[in-house]
Amino acid sequence: MTDIALQDGPEIAALPARARVLRRLRLGDATFYALTQAAAIAVLALLGGVIIALLLGAMPALSKFGFDFVTTERWNPVTEVFGAIAPIYGTIVTSIIAMLIAVPIGLMIALFLTELCPIPLRRPIGITIELLAGIPSIIYGIWGLFVFAPFLQQYVQPALINTLGGLPGLSVLFAGPPYGIGVLTAALILAIMVLPFITSISRDVFEAVPPFLKEAAFGLGCTTWEVFRNVVVPYTRVGVIGGVMLALGRALGETMAVTFVIGNAHRISSSLLAPGTTISATIANEFTEAVGDIYTSALIALGLILFVITFIVLAAARYMLLRIERRIG
Amino acid sequence: MNVITEHAQTTVPAVANKPLDTAQLEPKIAIRHLNFYYGDARALKDISLTLYKNTVTAFIGPSGCGKSTLLRVLNRMYDLYPNQHSEGEVIFDGDNILAPKQDLNLLRARIGMVFQKPTPFPMSIFENIAFGVRLYEKLPNSELEYRVEHALRRAALWDEVKDKLKANGLSLSGGQQQRLCIARTVAVKPEVILFDEPCSALDPISTAKIEELIDELKADYTIIIVTHNMQQAARVSDFTAFMYLGQLVESGSTQKIFTSPGDQRTQDYITGRFG
Repeated sequence: MTDIALQDGPEIAALPARARVLRRLRLGDATFYALTQAAAIAVLALLGGVIIALLLGAMPALSKFGFDFVTTERWNPVTEVFGAIAPIYGTIVTSIIAMLIAVPIGLMIALFLTELCPIPLRRPIGITIELLAGIPSIIYGIWGLFVFAPFLQQYVQPALINTLGGLPGLSVLFAGPPYGIGVLTAALILAIMVLPFITSISRDVFEAVPPFLKEAAFGLGCTTWEVFRNVVVPYTRVGVIGGVMLALGRALGETMAVTFVIGNAHRISSSLLAPGTTISATIANEFTEAVGDIYTSALIALGLILFVITFIVLAAARYMLLRIERRIG
Repeated sequence: MNVITEHAQTTVPAVANKPLDTAQLEPKIAIRHLNFYYGDARALKDISLTLYKNTVTAFIGPSGCGKSTLLRVLNRMYDLYPNQHSEGEVIFDGDNILAPKQDLNLLRARIGMVFQKPTPFPMSIFENIAFGVRLYEKLPNSELEYRVEHALRRAALWDEVKDKLKANGLSLSGGQQQRLCIARTVAVKPEVILFDEPCSALDPISTAKIEELIDELKADYTIIIVTHNMQQAARVSDFTAFMYLGQLVESGSTQKIFTSPGDQRTQDYITGRFG
């Protein structure tokens, strides 16, 4: 006992200094905890604030038109009668078409880059794709309006009308004159814009497939396509779906590029070549000229609807991932 | 010298299989002057070795000696990676499998492989096996079910999984997963099965089951096993090839390699002096 006490002697003398250091560290810990917590709560508070502001702003229009707001097509600033179905329809249709085009192409590019591409080409192509994601949407917009839309008007749309327009069932989708701008043009631009997201995320998850799993499939005699279809895709589908949903979220909310090329017409046409509008394009176009409380409120209500649509998409994606995970067990 | 011999006698594992007369056996694969390169590094140096039908050959040697590389040449798995190439000949039923015109998918169907880590595909137990069968044969469902059952029975797994064929392959234990991979390989009806340290991730009971299985499978297949475990080589193989630093030091019947090796390095390795 005495021995131990003697040995401890000098350390006891040093204790106050150590306690001071410890106190300072504890203070630092507590501060750091409070800071991180505050940052996390700030996000919640911001989101809550946005929802409340949207609800309050949308209230006049929603209480005036009720459920009719989301079911009627008429959008008349002069008589102050507003119905949102046309922009809702435009938003959903352009996004769906964009995904139908971009998902297969994006997956094919990712497959090529991870499995088939000669090594020296991998980096240049990968970097190009990432640069595509970095182009500001306004540039897609002016390019779409001045280059892409005239090109479509002159060459692609007449061809579509002459071929698909004659087929039963498809004729309604490809009817009417080739305007150049319209729902299909907006969808094509959106497809180009979301392509890099889908490609780079799926490339990253494809690369994360353990090599021994691929070797096992090749070892059975699978071709590259069979390995991709039966091993790589099932193994990575959670990540791929995540990338697709991110892209869909981007497509639903994309404003500038769409506003340039969609034609901004508040009507639902069965033809994809006809002009239409989307929620974000309507808001961007009309906010400056929205006079009167009801008009402004109607635009804010549109914003609320876009928010709800995006939320539903994200929730659906989560649910889908949960189900997949449960099935895999 | 006397001390060394005594030491060797106490630690050399007991050999299970009697030596076979190679004159009575049919050569299945003949490796002739094989060199293999990772980039500029030569990993296999002038290997010549004959593998006989319906026998088990073990490749042994310390880590990095090239035994797994040699195995991966036999089904040309190295082709998946750039900067790896081989020289020489590997004659498999009269064809040189190193020839550029070799159909790799067909080759890999004929020479199946079981890996070090169990590699069930992310799908159900049934699908894991049916998948490989469907690649080559279009079978009616009843026949496919029969093939899956047969393969699972062959891999001594049927009784454990027959009630949960729809469960995910990944839900099985490590030993079961490895037997599932063996069943998957067997179902494609290969002629040769390559085992790349199949038991290194498994417990002793699973290891014993797989060794038993290898012993049964050699009636129908030519088997080559890479192993770090000398006891395992002694228990399951008819022939043993000892490799060191990319060279084939010595090969012959397992009985001979383990009881009277011709090379001092073999002697040192099997008695546990290095490696």
